[in-house]
Amino acid sequence: MAETRLADVHPPYLYPDYKSTRHRAPAQPLVRVAPSPLEAAGPAFPKHFVKESEADLTTWGKSAPLGEKMVLVGRVLDEGGRPVRRSLIEVWQANASGKYPHPVDDHEAPLDPNFLGKGQLLTDDEGRYRVVTVKPGAYPWQNHAFGWRPAHIHFSLFGNAYAQRLITQMFFPGDPLLAIDPIFQSVPEAGRKLLIADLDLEHGVEGVALGYRFDMLLRGPHATPMGV
Amino acid sequence: MAKPTPSQTVGPFFARELLWQDGGKVLFPGHGDRITLTGRVFDGNGAPIFDALFETWQADSGGKVPSGGDGARPYGYGRVSTDTNGAYSIDTVMPGSFKGPAGETYAPQISVAIFARGLLKALQTRVFLAPLEEIKDDPLARAIGDPERLRTLIATRDPRDPKIYRWDVRLRGAGEAVFIEY
Repeated sequence: MAETRLADVHPPYLYPDYKSTRHRAPAQPLVRVAPSPLEAAGPAFPKHFVKESEADLTTWGKSAPLGEKMVLVGRVLDEGGRPVRRSLIEVWQANASGKYPHPVDDHEAPLDPNFLGKGQLLTDDEGRYRVVTVKPGAYPWQNHAFGWRPAHIHFSLFGNAYAQRLITQMFFPGDPLLAIDPIFQSVPEAGRKLLIADLDLEHGVEGVALGYRFDMLLRGPHATPMGV
Repeated sequence: MAKPTPSQTVGPFFARELLWQDGGKVLFPGHGDRITLTGRVFDGNGAPIFDALFETWQADSGGKVPSGGDGARPYGYGRVSTDTNGAYSIDTVMPGSFKGPAGETYAPQISVAIFARGLLKALQTRVFLAPLEEIKDDPLARAIGDPERLRTLIATRDPRDPKIYRWDVRLRGAGEAVFIEY
């Protein structure tokens, strides 16, 4: 059961249109095991591991960053619909010009001295999170001719168990680049809409910031049949 | 039934965002024998993977699952990136063995997750810090069976410095490491 559901939404390791997978995807099948007692638990991030200001990526510099300001809200739940509480979420993204402040990013777009593009927070007791940022820009990449990555925000989640560890990307509704992005297209069709945020105007700030909603669901730590 | 959020690659741009100062020094509340787990990560062509995020999560020296942190960081968790040679290094304590819910014994091991450009999902596995003959009853060792494949998960002790455990990881092809799913 769980196997079928996972196969429905997760990308394969090998997706030849995304060229880097050709030499990095394992060729052997994975070995299925129950999470060990260690993996059924996970690292505990103390409350003061994060600062409240780290959920607002627009206040990092001396003045406001360039770009379309946005508020991103959502909830993190497990497969049983239970909130993932007080769990670390890390986000990172390109600036509004589609540039990362990273030495290997050779895209000829300007850096923004007021934007680092890095944030982190702990979910609340209901599994909710809220991030203030600017909409990242699309950027070209060398996977294929005229390749452009659609605007996206990277997410890293721990859940309540190490077996739930997830790194993913969130995309924006109506983006025409989704159709030509092999990273997004690697996700089976049934899973693709789960990576696209919804406009959620009421969670924005009137006259200031657009609101978006992106809920995430992590596997339950005990979603594996007992056995091995 | 609701579906889990699909995985996507960590991409090439995470160093400033995800890496921590001394992220490879794993903290514990108590003492233990300090060891170093080190090695290199290779792709299917044998080329070093220079842009992987390498994470470890482990029990303490008594086999206890860590909880809490030292204030700034969680206990038991390490996070580094590979360098230009594909090398990683984790400074930690020797984990103890521990029991599963049905009384099964887990050999001394570290749970590892590898993320990288070109990996659409995390690669998860467990590296053993004990020789083949001492891990035969471990649940993963039993699930793998084939000793040749199992050897891909055994870190070897450096004969000159027994505090150093070496474990190279091949993601694809000859000598490909065993990876797990839950």
